Amino acid sequence: MRSQESSTQPPGMPPPRVAVWLIGLFTSDQEAEAVPGDLLEEFSYLASRSGVVFARRWYWRQTAKTITHLAGAAFRSAPWTMAAVIVGGFLLHGFLSGLPDKFLSAVTDRYLMFWSAHFQAYTWVLNGVGIAHLMASLLVGCMVAWAAKGREMVATMALALVFCGMFAAALVWVATRRPIDVAWLLWACSGPFAIVMGGLIVRTRRSRNRDSSPTRLGTTRA
Amino acid sequence: MTLAYLFYIVWIMSGRDYLGEFEHVILLALLRLEDRAYGVTVRQEIEFRTKREVSIGAVYATLDRLEAKGYVKSRLGEPTPERGGRSKRFFQVTAKGVAAVNRTHRALQRMTDGLDLVRSHA
Repeated sequence: MRSQESSTQPPGMPPPRVAVWLIGLFTSDQEAEAVPGDLLEEFSYLASRSGVVFARRWYWRQTAKTITHLAGAAFRSAPWTMAAVIVGGFLLHGFLSGLPDKFLSAVTDRYLMFWSAHFQAYTWVLNGVGIAHLMASLLVGCMVAWAAKGREMVATMALALVFCGMFAAALVWVATRRPIDVAWLLWACSGPFAIVMGGLIVRTRRSRNRDSSPTRLGTTRA
Repeated sequence: MTLAYLFYIVWIMSGRDYLGEFEHVILLALLRLEDRAYGVTVRQEIEFRTKREVSIGAVYATLDRLEAKGYVKSRLGEPTPERGGRSKRFFQVTAKGVAAVNRTHRALQRMTDGLDLVRSHA
């Protein structure tokens, strides 16, 4: 068995930044130091022994497998919490995404007689409804991530996948009846993307707070 | 099968938690490594002895599960420069974990008793 325990030199070549960032998104508080540290330790050893290209390939392979395992572990360790968070997020999205349409209906019903005089304002409001839908998705992503503490990315990605599945089913249904509008296609994809972005925002903020905190959860320092 | 019998099986299984294959391998690696057991050494020990590639995520996911069951306990070491100032997380098997390894090992031995595995494979 090879060992790097005798090595005390700081690493010369850094591992792939994107891979390090991805690992950071999926590790829990307990693993936040150990997993990236272990990967860096082995990466430095492999880079000095077999070359940087080999070490980078190894790092990416480990990243892909590690994220898969950590995501699976997040579901297995708290299945009911994850299910509750995803169902709650789904219902919240249904409620929030309906609000801009209700607001628009209320406004147009009240000021319909002036529409010809304020046509540009109506156009702006119509465009604004789309943006409000996107903001609702972002807010849902943030709230789901906030509720799924420590499993932010897994929860938001699972919710986004639910919407992607529904969208795929709708796409098949629409495609059989009329030609697909590419703009509509892109717009429909933006909702799940915004949910994941919400998770990313919350996760990044929590990681920063955790890194600045002197105490770690669940483990004792020797 | 009656419902009462089904509940009896569930009760027996919850009381005697046998280890999964990878859990068993991880606990054996921890017992071999003693006080040197952390992510890198555990992963390398398993790769060296089983000749299969293991990801660090699989090791930690299983170790966290074993810790939740009370079979292992962990502590953070001091930050080291070769790890970019990050700490090692050392693992140790508890008495409950040793008992689980023994129980699983005995169960496997009972299952293989009397079998001529070499001839069966040939």
